[in-house]
Parts: sequence; structure tokens; C-alpha cells
Amino acid sequence: MQHEYPRNGESTHPSSKKPKLSSKFITESDIRDEFSHHQQRVARINNGSYGSCPNSVLTAQRHWQLQFLRQPDAFYFNVLRDGITASREIIKDLINADHVDEVSLVDNATTAAAIVLQRIGRSFAEGKFQKNDTVLMLHCAFQAVKKSIQAYVTRAGGSVIEVRLPFPVNSEEEIISEFKKSIEEGKSNGRKIRLAIIDHITSMPSVVIPVKELVRICRAEGIEQVFVDAAHAIGSVKVDVKEVGADFYVSNLHKWFFCPPSIAFLYCKKSTSSSDLHHPVVSHEYGNGLPIESAWIGTRDYSSQLVVPAVLEFVNRFEGGIDGIMKKNHDEVVKMGKMLAESWGTNLGSPPEMSAAMIMVGLPSRLCLDSEEDAVMLRSHLRDRYEVEVPIFHQVSVDREEGVRDKDGFITGYLRMGKLAKCFIRNEKAVIKVGAGFHGITSVFCRLLMRAAFTVFKESYKRGAKSSAEELELLTNVI
Amino acid sequence: MNTTSASAAATPQPFFITPAEVFSEFSHHHPSVARINNGGLGCCPSSLISSQRQIQLQWLRQPDEFFFNQLQPGMLRSRNVIKDLINADHVDEVSIVDNASTAISIVLQHMAWGFAEGKFHSGDATVMFHCAYGAVKKSVEAYFVRAGGYVIEVPLPFPVNSDDEILQEFRQALEKAKQNGRSVRLAIIDHVTFMPTVVMPVKQLVSICREAGIDHVFIDAAHGIGCVDVDMKQIGADFYTSNLHKWLFCPPSAAFLYCRKSNQSSALHHPVVTHQYGNGLATESSWIGTRDYSAQLVVPKILEFVNRFEGGIDGIKRRNHDAVVDMGEMLAKAWGTHLGCPPHMCSSMVMVGLPACLHVSSDQDSSKLRTYLRGKFGVEVSIYYRPPKDGEVGPLTGYARISYQVYNKLLLLLLWFIDISGKYLSLLQPKATTLPLSH
Repeated sequence: MQHEYPRNGESTHPSSKKPKLSSKFITESDIRDEFSHHQQRVARINNGSYGSCPNSVLTAQRHWQLQFLRQPDAFYFNVLRDGITASREIIKDLINADHVDEVSLVDNATTAAAIVLQRIGRSFAEGKFQKNDTVLMLHCAFQAVKKSIQAYVTRAGGSVIEVRLPFPVNSEEEIISEFKKSIEEGKSNGRKIRLAIIDHITSMPSVVIPVKELVRICRAEGIEQVFVDAAHAIGSVKVDVKEVGADFYVSNLHKWFFCPPSIAFLYCKKSTSSSDLHHPVVSHEYGNGLPIESAWIGTRDYSSQLVVPAVLEFVNRFEGGIDGIMKKNHDEVVKMGKMLAESWGTNLGSPPEMSAAMIMVGLPSRLCLDSEEDAVMLRSHLRDRYEVEVPIFHQVSVDREEGVRDKDGFITGYLRMGKLAKCFIRNEKAVIKVGAGFHGITSVFCRLLMRAAFTVFKESYKRGAKSSAEELELLTNVI
Repeated sequence: MNTTSASAAATPQPFFITPAEVFSEFSHHHPSVARINNGGLGCCPSSLISSQRQIQLQWLRQPDEFFFNQLQPGMLRSRNVIKDLINADHVDEVSIVDNASTAISIVLQHMAWGFAEGKFHSGDATVMFHCAYGAVKKSVEAYFVRAGGYVIEVPLPFPVNSDDEILQEFRQALEKAKQNGRSVRLAIIDHVTFMPTVVMPVKQLVSICREAGIDHVFIDAAHGIGCVDVDMKQIGADFYTSNLHKWLFCPPSAAFLYCRKSNQSSALHHPVVTHQYGNGLATESSWIGTRDYSAQLVVPKILEFVNRFEGGIDGIKRRNHDAVVDMGEMLAKAWGTHLGCPPHMCSSMVMVGLPACLHVSSDQDSSKLRTYLRGKFGVEVSIYYRPPKDGEVGPLTGYARISYQVYNKLLLLLLWFIDISGKYLSLLQPKATTLPLSH
């Protein structure tokens, strides 16, 4: 079936139809089928939080689940371990690790952080580290990681340095410069930095961090170990653990790599200390190395860790495989982000080369987003009233003089747009919905502004293709 | 589906689940395997698998909405169901975790902090039975011993004839610890031991612990709920964990950890730390990052299932117990052996002595026999090697741990077992003296 809807502004006039693509690659109709279980009316542009999983992979998962239920003992003795090893082998190749022993499967990045930090806690308790030895992290580190640091490091007597990253950010140099400054401060008073935790892609606000360079700086500054929290990375940016050079690297496969919830890999570079990492849930495999410990943490459903081969089959149905998907996601999210920012007269939170499959788009200052609570309220309202799922970030103004402005005031809010190209609702519909959402909310404050915005939307939409009657009605209703 | 299930909880059940319906509920089980190891990895009926799938699909459909609006209320509902089942005072005392292994890690990590923060001192002890589950022993090594603690192992007499034999060993071990000047900080007691399987007199053991001034008592009841009576107030322990996927039909995996309200209980944390850290173990455990929580959310549906059986879960427990004891006694008679403990110390599982001519003389032999029975005869059963004690003459060294659950058919199993053991023993003919079988 040919494209039902225009993509990227193409005309669907019969005479301009492209020749039918070979059936070698997945078609749009196939994609719709694969994600038919998604709630159809929702503009799902928050893939970054909980990810998504196609039907063919869910089917593979069910097969594994039923195999276990059919004869669990035989499954445990004869099937499980090999299945997990097969998944680990695939991941090892994807991330360019040297040896499969460096790859453990865990539930999620949160579990991986607990594994690494629990060891830090033990080192304090066992006297290997001194009181006030330090762990360094980014100020925008994921909240669970911050709490894990509190639970394992602060509680054990360690201290924490937060690197304040600039946002919005204009270049990698800005980040590198802040990072170097914080290390200097951290090392003052003779404190030893035992571990640096660096995001590969920060969560909120979302920015791609120059990890390779930061890891190099850590090594140069004598920081003992580096842990890269790359929860969003695999399937979103290129992941080459040898190139990044960190001691520990974790990424969730259920965010951007189509796995069902949940599965993540924790890469641990081979070294003397890596043998002292343990899964916090101890089983009879304790002491056999983290990959083996993690492959059995008591009776549970391991099916999400067994479907990695099926996921690889799925991504290879796309032109260019996972690389092709990553590029398309990036190109489309940047395009969408720019479109919104231009319509609203706001900005992007980072340049395109510092975004992957997610981008931060400045919200009109007239929204008067003054707090975290405002951001949460806005998000709920968009979900409930306009069926748009999009996280909202409240930008705390450190120095009002240096804040970014639109024509009405300081920009204090950003939305994080992150969607899988072609996988859900089509681009324009999502943009319209997002715009409609904001119009509805801001209608009390800035009718004039949003009217202008929607004029722009209408124009770009008309240029794109024919609209359905439903969409014109939607447009007319919101103005 | 059984149309009477809707009224299950509220009114007396006029029509109970039929054998055909039971068969249908477990039709996904391998048809040619005699499954008598329910204590290993449990079982789950089709109707619960379907309910679980619906929950999984709800998440996949719109995960953010599910996270914000449905997940926490769903977990609370599950916890309330469990609270009522186990007679706990307050739902805050009930946390849901993956399995008993996770629960023990939580408690032992708390103990490790006790050492690190100077509340406990190097050499302070934990007391547990020598037959404690392997993962528990490793967890004790990883957290308690590593932090400076000492382990006192209490031998479990086996075969055992009465509760008193166990209580005596326990008292002796505590007395010895006292004489050596050791502070016992934690007692780890199985409610139903794993291998060999015996129902322990937990209430009396907890009393002994209180008399001896032991700080914390943790009951590992991995096999507890759905298998024996579980009453938190009656047992009186500080911590109690049981898997729901072993004997309560939950899909893999879900377990509860009960923590009696005290100053201590608020200091327990889930080792996987999230933004919920500090909000109490129950809340921490209900969000440990993005994962599939469906097995934990389906708990209310379990009641619907068990209430289709006459007597509900109590009826199931009683019938399982009676059937497995019947089976065990028939096999022991056929083989000229004996049961590992008297019927009142059996749950839904029983240890049946294997004929001596099978020459099970090591853990390896027991594994090999198990594999052989699975591969050659389609029988799934755990085998236990019981080392002979000094001075014993001709003891039984091999036992089969047989279980009975609603999907088993007693007579068929017996015939099957006797038949295959006849074939197996005939294969061992050169070693056998007198074949005890006759059928």
C-alpha cells in the first residue's frame, strides 16, 4: 500500500508517487501493525521515558514465557542460561566490547547504578576509601541516580560534587569547560574523586554529552573510575564502549531499542576491581562474576532479556538497520523541534548535533511556567485534555540577565520531544496536537500569539498535503 | 470461563471448578511430564496468565498514563489483598518484591549497615539451619559475613520424628553461642525447609529467640503462602517472606516481605534505589525503575481463582497435603522405605525415601538421577542426598521430594512413578539385591 499520509511534505498526487519500494524493507503499513497496540489517539512523543515494543517482539516474548510455564525446571536447566548468553553476545557486538564477560544483563539503568554504587559504599565501609572521598555527578543526573548516591555514598561518609551544566547549551566546549572547573573545585581540600558519573544523554533537560572527551579528562585528572549512565543511548546514538573508554557503561534496551520492559546491559571493563561487583540480589551464583550472578537472581520472568535476537531481526527490517533508524529519528525530531520553535518564536535547548532522538523545545514565555509543579500540571493537562504525552522541563533561572528570552519574556519551560519516526502518529498530526494543546492552555493569556502560531501551522500543513476534514476541523476549533 | 467466579468472594460457592476446568487451566503444561516438583518453580493457571497479559498490554498502550494513574493504586490493591491473607495489622507492613531471594537481600543489607554504622560489632552472629536455601547462605556470606558477622549453623535432624527434635537442636545452638559470648543479632528460620522439606515449628522457634534476646527474627517462608498456614500475628516474627508464585498461582514472579512495624522497619531499603528512596520499603519496592510489574499487579485476581475451589485456598492446602501424604506413604510402602518426617510436619510436599539399591551417594548422584528421570521417564522431581552420619548402619541416602498441586492427578502419578521406578530399578539389576516393587 502506498503512503496514506504525506511524509516530510511530499505530495501524494498520483502522478508524483514514487515507484513501489521493494518489499525488502519494512513498510509503513507493517510499522502501523507492529505498534497497533498503542493507544491510537495519543500523540506519543515521549518515547524517551518508557520506550516502546513492536508486536513481533512481544510475540517472541510470549513464546519464551510459555516455554517456561510449560516445563519450568527443564527451562531453567537447559534453556535459560544459553538464551541469556545469546542476548549478551549480540549486545557485545553492538557496543564493541572485547569480551562477552564484560556484558551483564540487568533490569534497568537504575539497577546498574545500584550495583556500581553499592560497591562504592562497601569500599567506604571496609576502609578502602576515606571519609569525604568524593563522587562526582552532573547536577541534572537522573533522580534515581542521585538517590542511589545518597543511599550508598553519602550514607557511608562520602561527599558529592555536582557539575552544573549550562542549559540551554550552545556547544560541547561549554560543557567541557564547566566539567573541568568542577573537578578543580572538587579536588581542592585534598579530596580524592573515587568515581565520576557522567550521562551520555541527559534525561531532563535532554542533551547529548561529549562523553569521550569527559572520560579523557577524568583519566587525566586521576579520577579512579568512570561510570557512564547512558540510559537513553543504545538505539539513539552510536555506542562504542572502547571508544568512550569508561569503566562502567549502562544503557536501557527498552527505551530506544524496542525491547519489552525491561532490560538493560551493564558493561564493565575487565579489571581487578570489576570482579568485586555483585548483584544486590544474591543467589547461589554469588561469586561467579556479575554476568552470571545477574543471569539468575531467583525465580522471575527473564523473557524480556531473552528476546534480543528477535529485536535484532526487527531493526534489520529497516533500511540501514539500527543506524538507519537512529538517523531518521534524529532528522525528524530536529525538523519537528525547529518547526515548533520557529512557530512559537522560541529556541531549541541545544544545537542539533547535541541532540539524538530527543530535542528540547522552548515554550512560549507567556505560559508563565514558574515551577516544577507548573510543569507537572501542564503535562497532565496535555495528557488528559489533548491526548498528548510529552514531558515538560522547568528551567530554573540562575541569572535572569543571562536567560534566553522570546519576545514576551524569559523562557522558563521546555518540552522534550522524542518520538520514533514513522512509528506512531505522523509528524504533522503530532505537531498540530501539541500546538493545539498549548493553544488551549494559553488561550487565557495569549490568544494573539497562538493565533499567529496556528496560522503558521495551517500554512505549513497546506503546503504539505491534503488535510482530512477532521484535521481542518481541529484547526478551526482551536483558533 | 466459570461463570460463578464473579460471586466467588462474596457468597458461598454453589458450583466449584470441575476437573475438566482445572485441566483446561493448566493445559499449557507439558502433557507428557509428570510434574511433581511444584515447590521448585511453581505454576500459574491460564486465567491468571490472561489477566497478566491484559495488564501488560495496558502498560504498553500508554505507559506514561499507566505510571501516573494506575501503577501505584494497583500495587496498593495487591498489598491489601496480601495483608488480609496473612493477618498483618497494617498495609504498610507489606512490601511486594520479586522473590524471597530479594527479600533476604533487603534484610541482610540492613544488617550489613548495622555493622558499618557501629550498631553491631565484629563477631556478632546470625543463627540459621544448615539446610537453609543456597541463595540465603550466599546472601549471608555477601552481606553479613563480609561486614564482619559470624554464622552459627544449626543442624536439622533428618529424618525427623517430632518438632521437639528440632527445638532441642536450636536451643543447644543458642546456648553454645551464649557460652561463647556471642551476640546473636539475627535468626533466619525456614517455615518450610527447602531440601529436605519439613514444616518447622516456627511459632515455638520464634519464642525461643525472644527468650534468648535475639534482636531480629526473619522467617524465610518461600514455600509458605498457599502451602501452610501463614499468620503474622500468631508467628510473631520481625520479618517474614513468602513467594506467591510457588503455591499461590501467581505468574513469575511476586513475593511479599512483611516487616512488623517498629523503629527498625523504617530503616529497611530496597537495594535498587529510585526517587522513592526514604518513603518506606513498601513504596520503594513498588517502583524500582522501568520494568514489568504485571505479576505483582495481578494478585487480586488470584483470589478469584482460588475461590473457585471448594474451601478456597485452605481447601486447596488441605487436599494437597492429604494427597501428597497418601502418595508418599504408598510409595514408601511399595519401596520398603519411609517418609522423612511424620505427616503433620509435611506441607504440600513430602520426602520419600528411595530404595537403597539406587545408590544415591552424593549430591552429584542426586542431580544425575533427577536429570535421568526427566529425560528418560518424563518425571520432574527433586532428589535429595542425605549424607550418612557416623555410626549409622544402612541408612537411606536418597529421598525424592514429591509435591502435589491441583493440576496433579493422584492415581495416575502413583502408577506412573511405580512403573518408571520398576523400569529404572530393572536397569540397575546388577546392583539390586531384592526389587521391592510388586505390581
